[in-house]
Amino acid sequence: MPRRIVIIGAHAAGVDAASAARRTDRTAEITLITEQKQAGYSPCGIPFVLGRHIRGFDKLVVFPQSFFRMMKLNLMLETTATNIDTENKTVAIQDKTGTQKTLQYDSLIIATGAYPFVPPIKGREKQGVYVLRTIEDGKKIDQAIENSKSAVVIGAGLIGLETAVACIERGLTTTVVELLPQVLPAMIDADMAKIVRNMLEEKGMSIITGKGVDEILGADRVTGVSVAGEQIQADMVVVATGVKANTELARKAGIAIGETKGIKTSLRMETNVKDVYAVGDCVESINMVTQRPTLCQLGTAAVRQAKVAGANAAGGYAIFHGVLGSAVTKFFDTEIGVTGLTEFFARKAGFEIVIGVITSKTRPEYYPGGLPIKIKLVVDKESQRIVGVQVIGGEEVTQRINALSFAIQKHMTVRELAKADTAYAPPLNETWEPMVLAAEIALRKLR
Amino acid sequence: MVKVDGYEVPEGLYYTKDFGWVKVEGDKVRVGMTDYAQKQLREVVYAELPGPGTSTTQNEPYGTVESVKAVSDLIAPVSGTIEEVNEQVQSSPEILNEDPYAKGWLLVIKPSNLQAELANIMDFNQAVEWHKSLIKEG
Repeated sequence: MPRRIVIIGAHAAGVDAASAARRTDRTAEITLITEQKQAGYSPCGIPFVLGRHIRGFDKLVVFPQSFFRMMKLNLMLETTATNIDTENKTVAIQDKTGTQKTLQYDSLIIATGAYPFVPPIKGREKQGVYVLRTIEDGKKIDQAIENSKSAVVIGAGLIGLETAVACIERGLTTTVVELLPQVLPAMIDADMAKIVRNMLEEKGMSIITGKGVDEILGADRVTGVSVAGEQIQADMVVVATGVKANTELARKAGIAIGETKGIKTSLRMETNVKDVYAVGDCVESINMVTQRPTLCQLGTAAVRQAKVAGANAAGGYAIFHGVLGSAVTKFFDTEIGVTGLTEFFARKAGFEIVIGVITSKTRPEYYPGGLPIKIKLVVDKESQRIVGVQVIGGEEVTQRINALSFAIQKHMTVRELAKADTAYAPPLNETWEPMVLAAEIALRKLR
Repeated sequence: MVKVDGYEVPEGLYYTKDFGWVKVEGDKVRVGMTDYAQKQLREVVYAELPGPGTSTTQNEPYGTVESVKAVSDLIAPVSGTIEEVNEQVQSSPEILNEDPYAKGWLLVIKPSNLQAELANIMDFNQAVEWHKSLIKEG
């Protein structure tokens, strides 16, 4: 009898797990269950549809229906997994008509993702208050932008700022309110955040940090928000205060949840229950620098975990090495990236560190079109290893984040980086690679 | 040749709903994988094909193609005996992406029941309509 693999969730993590399972086992019966109307799209692209960089939400579909057919994956849309019975190895499901069924599995992969967390702000139930997670959410916000002159975004994380940038690009008067004292608080350090903030303000975004929204104002419909007594007018409000791992189903089934409130897994992405795997935004990962649990919740981590879980669920062997939280984004013409620990989180984790910061250009002075680039290197004093990097620049940020992610993964020391071999040509780069210069500066502080 | 939302559908070929194409060449047929299929699979890294002399049965798998993202069975569009296998596809599978209708052909088959079986699969016009419906369903 063919192996039966059931996957709960059908986005990046779920579909990539299915692909990996199919590659390992050509005859397995693979079933994907999702509550949503559409599977296999990229939610990360939604803010860029809102900003009109991508032409339409349907362009975000990475895996169309025909892909599932080609891969012989049984996709069940608008179907909810209501219970997991690990004893009898079954999943109870219910489709949109209310019909209930039980699926038998040999291996189960939980890819239930995360849901937007909306803090208990007074008035959050009003019309015109949105969250951004699914294509449906995106379409509602798109419509709201069309009919609004002003917007407030609550939360200055990646999604919040990407959405706020889109609002500005669509001509709305846009204010971002962040409870913590800086923008991108979970991603970059305060000194780097200041650069991002100044740039966003220059582009016309109003940013309030260190203050929370007391109330969302308006009768039934949003008319604005109140922040520390000050009223800000808004025709729409987007709440982007982070996401929480969707672990309810797993928890009910007795699957262990970790200290970060994500599902705990082994190196093979297997939970504490045999033959039950978990991947993506609902799982806890190990940070490769601190070796401590962390909630990563990035698309790249999800697909890497999925490849591992899919292979294992189909009888193969693969292990997941952990995460560095490498992330990049682009606001207007500025690219922002991070990998490993920020200075703040490194100190919090107990590291004694030195910093190397350089502001350079992406091309030589004499070559037209060079753009500023700033690199902040975080180095562990004891081992001299690079433990984290942040880069803000006009171009070529991603390649440097990736290069330094590799460096951190291979335990490269700052001394090695200062002598690293790099490529150069005037239209593309400076003779002295900025990463190398940042390493030299950090090295000087170690002497 | 027409393009349906960026996917090439050449005239004069027959098509299956398993993303295969058939070109009748005298008393033989040349078969391969459609542009739509190669674009969904993305970078093809490996193709497993049977040897000459092997027989094929319409609608039954005869091989597999593996890409960086996916793996898919290759389904025989007609029944018959394999006369030729494209060895270049096995050594350089990327030609399936580069040129799925010409250099990326997969097999030459001596069909056993061609006229009856061609009636089971799509002609050019039907294939264009089918591609449109694929795009529509998303």
